[in-house]
Amino acid sequence: MQTTKYKKKLYTPIESWRRRWLLPSCFLLVSFLLMILPLEGLVSSIKAVLSYVFIPQVRVAHSAVEYGQSVSDTVRELLQAHHENQQLKQEIETTKLLSAQATEVFAENARLTQLLKLQFSEPWKGVWAKVAYREPTRWNTIILDKGTADGIRERSAVIAIENGQEGLAGVVVEATETTAKVLLVRDEEFSAAVRLESGEEGLLIGNGPRPVQIKYIPLLTQVHKGDKVYTSASSSVFPSGILVGEVNGIYEEENSQTALTINVTPHIRAAAVKEVFVILEEGTKQ
Amino acid sequence: MLNAIRVFCLFIFATVFHWAFASLFARWGISANMILVFVAAFCALLKPSLAYSISFLCGLFLDFFSAKLFGNNAFTFTVCACLICNIVDRFDFDELFPQMVAVFGLSWLAGLLNTLLVAVFASSSAWPGFGSMMGGAILNAIFAPWVFWITRKIVGSSSLRRQG
Repeated sequence: MQTTKYKKKLYTPIESWRRRWLLPSCFLLVSFLLMILPLEGLVSSIKAVLSYVFIPQVRVAHSAVEYGQSVSDTVRELLQAHHENQQLKQEIETTKLLSAQATEVFAENARLTQLLKLQFSEPWKGVWAKVAYREPTRWNTIILDKGTADGIRERSAVIAIENGQEGLAGVVVEATETTAKVLLVRDEEFSAAVRLESGEEGLLIGNGPRPVQIKYIPLLTQVHKGDKVYTSASSSVFPSGILVGEVNGIYEEENSQTALTINVTPHIRAAAVKEVFVILEEGTKQ
Repeated sequence: MLNAIRVFCLFIFATVFHWAFASLFARWGISANMILVFVAAFCALLKPSLAYSISFLCGLFLDFFSAKLFGNNAFTFTVCACLICNIVDRFDFDELFPQMVAVFGLSWLAGLLNTLLVAVFASSSAWPGFGSMMGGAILNAIFAPWVFWITRKIVGSSSLRRQG
């Protein structure tokens, strides 16, 4: 006769309740406490401890994904290599000419700036980083595969290239030794001082799934759909002159009616961000 | 020892798959939440105490990358684990259809609960949009049979397995 290997034990109702609900109740309580505690202090310490468990795991996962990706990329690249090689040689020649011209212009600019006693604007220095992770439910936050070891700091500006032109992608909000968390332009907590083509300055605010907006533009400002928006020199975080996007709607502010609200289509789409250039402050590692 | 290795492998599989799908195969705002599918499989196949613990850990793994709130994913995954552990006796999770339906429903529950928690505790919006939610839930449901199969293969007939 066949006998069952495991016999079900009989429990009293209290024991049964305890077996079924005690552990999940504890976990729910712990996660609730984690949610209500401020992100600094204890939660930050817990994150630091967890980083010892999760970061190596993330590196393994990232390497595995990169390896899998590189196999298909390598095959495709091999097929295109010769054609690309010819094209790049021509581009290098052109770039050499442009570089020579740029050096002249840069030196002239520096000299004139000094004569006029203006603040000299340094060329951008930074590192290229890849998007290592993005949350499925939060497309406005990304994690980069480089961190403080490469010179990235909190509040470093992040730019990306789309359709052959660079544009503002976001800002670093958290950096560990090997990763950096970036808030993209569309995020509700993102803001930046920007200027319109006409020279008027305003405050660009991310708006989640709704259009990105510029606030505090004077009512009579001449602004048209399609006008470009750039980062302003008055920003303490972003270098001046980075393309942010273009105007796609102009409204009078409902409350005050003394200022315009401008809707902006970001040049860099959140879903298209794959590789980014993180602008480093002076004195950090390049 | 072998059981500890099995549990470790399951957790590594869940995070690596999640990472791969989040970074490689995310298109048009739609991405599979593989770690949630693994949580469903753990709760259907493993002992409840173990399933709750791994689910909580998986939630913490996602929370680790969140900028605004910490603990919301751990909470959501624990609730999901409670749900699956309590309905597992009423459905045959060896069949494909219950697996897919459960994961589809769980994806919506997790998405809505997470949005609610972020709205309440971080005063922010985590709602990815109806299209993204529906697309993600369908993708999760499609991958569910594979994930259940992988989990069943790793667990085998060890003592980790839920006694039906």
